[in-house]
Amino acid sequence: MTAQMFFIGFFGLAGVWFGIVVFRTYSMVRSALALLFSQTALGAMFLSMQAEFLGVLQIMMMATEMSIMAIFMVMFMMDPGGLGTMDMTHQKRLSLIAGFVSFVAAVLVALFVDWGPIAATFPDAAQQTVDLGLELLNRSMLIFEMAGITILTAMIAATAVAIKPIERITNKSKGH
Amino acid sequence: MSIELLLALITGAALLGVGIYGALSQTNLVMIMMGVELILAGAMVNLVAFWRYLHPDNPAGQMFVLIIMTVMAIEMAVGFGVAIARFRAKGSVEMEEATELKG
Repeated sequence: MTAQMFFIGFFGLAGVWFGIVVFRTYSMVRSALALLFSQTALGAMFLSMQAEFLGVLQIMMMATEMSIMAIFMVMFMMDPGGLGTMDMTHQKRLSLIAGFVSFVAAVLVALFVDWGPIAATFPDAAQQTVDLGLELLNRSMLIFEMAGITILTAMIAATAVAIKPIERITNKSKGH
Repeated sequence: MSIELLLALITGAALLGVGIYGALSQTNLVMIMMGVELILAGAMVNLVAFWRYLHPDNPAGQMFVLIIMTVMAIEMAVGFGVAIARFRAKGSVEMEEATELKG
């Protein structure tokens, strides 16, 4: 077993394990933190596969996102600490079946499809970053321009939806 | 097929399964979004594995992962905006209580 094989297996297992913990714990803050650990493990998995830029980006972005998610958990959940052990699920059996069937289907596809020859060489980290930058600025520039506009639109939409509506005082309510 | 590629694809499949279970079983909007995050993470793992072991000279694989990260961020931003609006209007983000549009 090579070191890469070991680390990919280890971090993959950690990512899946923490993903399961997200839905097993009663504490909502622990759910958010478990998701953070799961995403961090996947970032480490990217680093094991020599995708350094993506690995670092994954860890940085997910740490921020999941921390914000933990704050929202405390804001909106009835029992963020999980002390009440309230079950907030429905259609559990159907969900388990759907999850299991999708897992089995994806594994069967992975096992029985001929993916082609494995690449013998790969670019080093610096060359990967150069190639990615050139890809973003050449062939995929339109995609990323659209992504930037989409993010801006989403930010404006989310802010507009989240702003508390102003209560307008009408003449009728003033008693005139 | 290499063992490393197979391990990565199985990890992606497992994340897909767990994410689908979470998105279908949870009643809370934030927890449903966590399930969707896991599904997208599974897709990202597969893409990175395909890039690394099949087409390492083609940066399109990494670019696709960046697109998925963008989608994850957008989904969280809009989802939490909707959650805030729902919480202000009805006092909870439980999806079983969101039946106003039910026919």
